[in-house]
Amino acid sequence: MAVVGITVLALPLVGLVQRAPWTSLGDLLGRRPVLESLRVSLTVSLVTAGVVLVLGTPLAWVLARVEMPFRRLVRALVVLPMVLPPVVGGTALLFALGRRGLVGQWLDRWFDVALPFTMAGAVVAAVFVALPFYVVTVEGALRTTGDEMEGLAATLGAPPLTVLRRVTLPRLVPAMGAGLALAWARALGEFGATITFAGNLPGRTRTLPLATFQAMESDPEAALALSLVLLAVSLAVLIPTRNRWLPTR
Amino acid sequence: MRFLPALAVVFTVTLATAACAADDANRVTVFTASSLTDVVDDLAERWKAAGGSEVVAVLGGSNHLAAQLRDGAPADAFLTADVDLLDGLLSNPAPADLVRGFAYNHLVVAMPSDGPGRNPGDLHNRDLVLVVCAQGVPCGDATWARFGDLPVDSLEPSARAVVTRLDLGEADLGIVYATDVAARPGLVEAWPHDPACPCVAYSAAALTDRGRSFLAFLDTPAARDVLAGHGFVTEPPS
Repeated sequence: MAVVGITVLALPLVGLVQRAPWTSLGDLLGRRPVLESLRVSLTVSLVTAGVVLVLGTPLAWVLARVEMPFRRLVRALVVLPMVLPPVVGGTALLFALGRRGLVGQWLDRWFDVALPFTMAGAVVAAVFVALPFYVVTVEGALRTTGDEMEGLAATLGAPPLTVLRRVTLPRLVPAMGAGLALAWARALGEFGATITFAGNLPGRTRTLPLATFQAMESDPEAALALSLVLLAVSLAVLIPTRNRWLPTR
Repeated sequence: MRFLPALAVVFTVTLATAACAADDANRVTVFTASSLTDVVDDLAERWKAAGGSEVVAVLGGSNHLAAQLRDGAPADAFLTADVDLLDGLLSNPAPADLVRGFAYNHLVVAMPSDGPGRNPGDLHNRDLVLVVCAQGVPCGDATWARFGDLPVDSLEPSARAVVTRLDLGEADLGIVYATDVAARPGLVEAWPHDPACPCVAYSAAALTDRGRSFLAFLDTPAARDVLAGHGFVTEPPS
């Protein structure tokens, strides 16, 4: 059964690699549409990583350290996008932030801001799906390290900001790095929420996964090449975070 | 073992759906271009009333469906918005296996009924959100052939997806089929379309004997009535 399990996971990857157009790979990847979607993907996923860092760190800290009512409910809410089908997330975003959405209609009316069909919209969709990966990783690290060191530093007279800067953050950096890598990879692979909420336009919102989907309509070879790029990136993310997922023994 | 009840629910649902799927001996699976979504149920009903079988319509973009068929998806018939997609699906078809142009459709510029579109120049107005089908799907190819390069805000996988963008008010203008506008009370044509140009022709292919009998029905006055009732053109353009 274990062998069957491995096969289920490995077989599609083998299929992808053996059908890969290795000889024309360079040519396929050098085409303008591919480079364009690579640029969109990198921009969207890196901005997403920045937003995730800024929003996710305080959120993880609050979840790990602050006693509050309904904490389990809040945590469930944070984790939900990890299990929610992304296309549902995109639909929800549309009804919340779309031009006629709950909040979106006011954004449109007051600030003339419309998120759908913009790169900012693609970032919003990616943050929605990627944030939980960062928060869960960092919150877990905060819990396992405990707060004794902080308490000790405080009794020795360190002001709260110094405690944060000199004690809490340095010990948290590895987890933040790992969480960020996971969130970035999730953002890079995001498809359902992006196409539902942000649409699909070359150079603006067509990310690598959307380009792959589009290429399957007309040019399966190009789709294979794009899939290989995404596979390589996913593997690259596993390397810096390997200590978290792969036992070193 | 707290998740045991949940597991039991999943298992039961799976079994129930599997049981439904197993009872398909008398069903005809028809892969249907998504722009025929509304009409295919009525066609199925009329056919059944005339002694036909139960129809299971699988809806999607014509080229997605064609790709699935090439990969061996089980279907009895295929209704496509692009006859070229039948290449390689039917080798050496008999006349009964293929109905070319059983219906035609116009490409129109649509908008929400309170939308801002006034004249064809608005298609080039960058302040308006314009959504069309992607190139590679039939409605997208037809859009490019008819309207050329436009300042588009999103390329959607089917005309239905464009309709949804308009329905939700996310887009100001969209290029869809005349039948889509006729089916949606919230949508109007931004300006009258060119009656001389039905831009898309639907063709049907039979992949099995059961599919062949459905195709035979498509070629009857009853089927043409249903199609015309949904706003499709049933006479070939002159």
